[in-house]
Amino acid sequence: MDRTTYDIVVVGGGAAGLRAAIAAAETDPALSIGLVSKVYPMRSHTVSAEGGTAAVMRSYDKFDLHCFDTIKGSDYLADQDAVEFFVSKCPEEIIQLDHWGCPWSRDPEGRVLQRAFGGMSVKRTVFAADKVGFHILHTLFQTSMKYEAIRRLDEWFVTDIIVEDGKAAGVVAMDIRRGELNYITSKAVILATGGAGRVYEFTTNGFIKTGDGMALAYRAGVPLKDMEFVQFHPTCLPGTGILITEAARGEGGYLINKDGERFLKNYVPAKMELGPRDILSRAELTEIRAGRGFQGPHGDYVGLDLRHLGEKTIDERLPMVRELAEKYVGLDPIREPIPVRPGQHYFMGGVATNVRGETTLPGLYAVGETACVSINGANRLGSNSLSECLVFGTSTGMAAAAYAKKRGWPRGGASREALKKEEARIFDGLLKHEGGAETVAAIRREMQQLMERDVGIFREAKGLADACASIAKLRERFARVTVADKERVYNTEFVAALELDFMLDVAQAIAYAALSRRESRGAHSRTDFPNRDDVNYLKHTLVTRTDGVPKVDYVPVTITKWAPAERKY
Amino acid sequence: MVEVPKLPWRRPGGWWLRNRRYMLFQLREVGGVLSAVYGVLLLVLLSQYQAGPDAYASFLAWMRSPPVLVPTAILFAFVLVHALSWFVLIGKTQAVMSAGRAPPPRTVIGLMVGLFAVVSIAVVYLVFGGP
Amino acid sequence: MAEKIVAFRVKRYRPESGKAPFYQEYRIPVRDDTVVLDGLNYIKDHVDPTLTFRWSCRMGICGSCGMDVNGAPRLTCGTFVKDVDRGGVTVDPLTGFDVIKDLVVDFEPFLRHFLHVKPWIVRETNKPLSEGEYLQTPEEMEAYHQQSLCINCMLCYAACPVFQGNAKFVGPAALALALRYSRDTRDEGLDERLGRLSTRDGIWACTFVGECSVVCPKAVDPAGAIQSLKVLASIRHMRRLLLPKSARR
Repeated sequence: MDRTTYDIVVVGGGAAGLRAAIAAAETDPALSIGLVSKVYPMRSHTVSAEGGTAAVMRSYDKFDLHCFDTIKGSDYLADQDAVEFFVSKCPEEIIQLDHWGCPWSRDPEGRVLQRAFGGMSVKRTVFAADKVGFHILHTLFQTSMKYEAIRRLDEWFVTDIIVEDGKAAGVVAMDIRRGELNYITSKAVILATGGAGRVYEFTTNGFIKTGDGMALAYRAGVPLKDMEFVQFHPTCLPGTGILITEAARGEGGYLINKDGERFLKNYVPAKMELGPRDILSRAELTEIRAGRGFQGPHGDYVGLDLRHLGEKTIDERLPMVRELAEKYVGLDPIREPIPVRPGQHYFMGGVATNVRGETTLPGLYAVGETACVSINGANRLGSNSLSECLVFGTSTGMAAAAYAKKRGWPRGGASREALKKEEARIFDGLLKHEGGAETVAAIRREMQQLMERDVGIFREAKGLADACASIAKLRERFARVTVADKERVYNTEFVAALELDFMLDVAQAIAYAALSRRESRGAHSRTDFPNRDDVNYLKHTLVTRTDGVPKVDYVPVTITKWAPAERKY
Repeated sequence: MVEVPKLPWRRPGGWWLRNRRYMLFQLREVGGVLSAVYGVLLLVLLSQYQAGPDAYASFLAWMRSPPVLVPTAILFAFVLVHALSWFVLIGKTQAVMSAGRAPPPRTVIGLMVGLFAVVSIAVVYLVFGGP
Repeated sequence: MAEKIVAFRVKRYRPESGKAPFYQEYRIPVRDDTVVLDGLNYIKDHVDPTLTFRWSCRMGICGSCGMDVNGAPRLTCGTFVKDVDRGGVTVDPLTGFDVIKDLVVDFEPFLRHFLHVKPWIVRETNKPLSEGEYLQTPEEMEAYHQQSLCINCMLCYAACPVFQGNAKFVGPAALALALRYSRDTRDEGLDERLGRLSTRDGIWACTFVGECSVVCPKAVDPAGAIQSLKVLASIRHMRRLLLPKSARR
């Protein structure tokens, strides 16, 4: 590889990473920006987001209301100063994307339309049919191609963060195609690798969501925040886990049990199908466990009824939902309810950052689902995530650019050291390892199954403690894994092994965080501690890696205007 | 720097044998050349007509003889395929050109085929049955 | 759901082995709702971990999993085994591209062509963000929306005999996106793009085989888009010829 030095390295080419890269390029066109992604950017999982992206755009809405909805949705764990910043920046991101060509859905006069969404008091979710993530990602990717400052390293897998003199100094990354390890020296590193849904068995997430950035930061000694808060989306197709957007409910869809009743009247009578995702997922599971679910070849489920919306609305506002139902379930939603059940979807937690994406390691930034600022607290409202990627992508890109501009170059010694160490670790230690009875696929499957069982929607102490122990055992077994494919060139089994290595770290952080939080709040639901405990736990969890059991600390939540209250919908 | 040994792609010789649509495409394209031949034939016909009733009659007799009739029939088949495929292409293109505002391709193709039939019948009538 | 055993014949290419490519057969259990991608993953996870292919979203939106299935370019995440099982299923890497390994191809040529069409909003000046969005009616969006649905899966390139014979051909997806931006009311780049693409390896290499539109999983209709560009380019050419002053305006 010719180029080994960039002012800024962005790891991950989804909405957050691309937005940060563009923001950095616009802040200072003289900076060189390396966009390192293990897949071509248009494959990033942003592409699958369907429903919309929230912003206060019209006079019937107010920043304070978007703040309140978000904070209440977070079960009062969100940092309110961060939320205030976030909410104030959403509208300009929507306009910016429009200027860059994003095909937002419009009203007859040509203004950007907004729809209703879960937990939002008013219609503030801007949308692009039901393919908002696809359109945002392609708009950002195509726009990023305009900037000569942004150089892409496609299908490069980052294995380590280089640290020199207590500051991030670049990354070690493998060119997947050649199977060669390289170091990339930089003054700032931005992690934007998304969440880690693939540590769970049943997830909406694509195969690539393996928490790489979270693990990289964790290994560099940076704490992960609020990892126990894992969002389960209420409407996933049984079997595949394919997401059916919340917009289906935003447009008026109902959730029904096998008796045909809209059971949410017993859980969230005011908001019904537009209640927050954590409450809805628990409601569905409770109905299923009580025997009121439908039965199917992939387990029990509830029904998402769109029949009353009519063909015209469905084809205009939810065309992909109809296509997915017809293709993967073999039914037409204008005639039959769609089978759905809760599935892992999003990580509220992640690398601890402030609103500028700064972590505890100078020069290291994190943004998007990888990061935890926190604006989502214990539960995220739908359509806040894409806005989060855009708003913090911009603020992080700008912050990293300002930092890179005034910082001197790393000396480079640390880079060469790190490269040698990584080569020994991953090639000699992992790829060449022979004779072990363990396979990547088997260990990964066991991790996914145990996470699903013990660290899922409903948790309790014994299951969580078992999970912590099981993950430690899987770690030991991983040390004996044998990668069958010994070729260097484009070795996806080897990359999967490296990803599993990362996932085991992330799984450990989740399990320990969940075990330590002895209350129920937002998406973290403990059957042994069913109530919210603001006295002891109005705090963020910080998990820091050690050589043994991870260290768990707490930091207070920042409260500005909204005093924590009972969370009823 | 190690150059990765890719397997270079090369298009195989009989690529058009791969599926029905590729075959039809080749026939359509070949039909273009054959339509030109057919056009030349028509020009010759016209020039013989101009040369007088005897020349015209003997030319027609020659055209009717089996060794000439068979290839001419084949030429005619290709011209028909070429013309019809042309209508299909127009039908497909105009949908995108008008950004979906015009009638669906099927309707347009149907209209053109209908027009083609009417004009063909009129010509045949004029040539064989008319004044 | 009933299970049956189906034979998968998969084309292998191991770049470091020095050997020629070969077919490897695997017999695996499938159900009614098993897609070809599921089959490949079953092979990788349970039978042969060295089998190499790209995939991610498994719902037909990321565009990673394009391969030739029984000789036709398909998204393997959306191709049900029961629909393509003809005494077995044959999986090859996507036609038209150099193969890196097994079912992974090199589509850098597409990315070069993509950059060439300037797939972004081309404008002289932008109004400030404080002035809000550019107004665009639903009808105006309809004019380009179909072409905006391209997921860059490359099935159209695999299907195109012109691209198969000439990697310099800009190709269906890139050209469809050129039209998408040119037709967007916010864009001012039609003239420039036509200048770049009205060339021998641009739109004029296309002979309207139409197979690209047949295989496109998102109904983008790149063939129609290219013919539209031909009409637009012809009009531009005539205008420059006959009314040179107004054309340069």
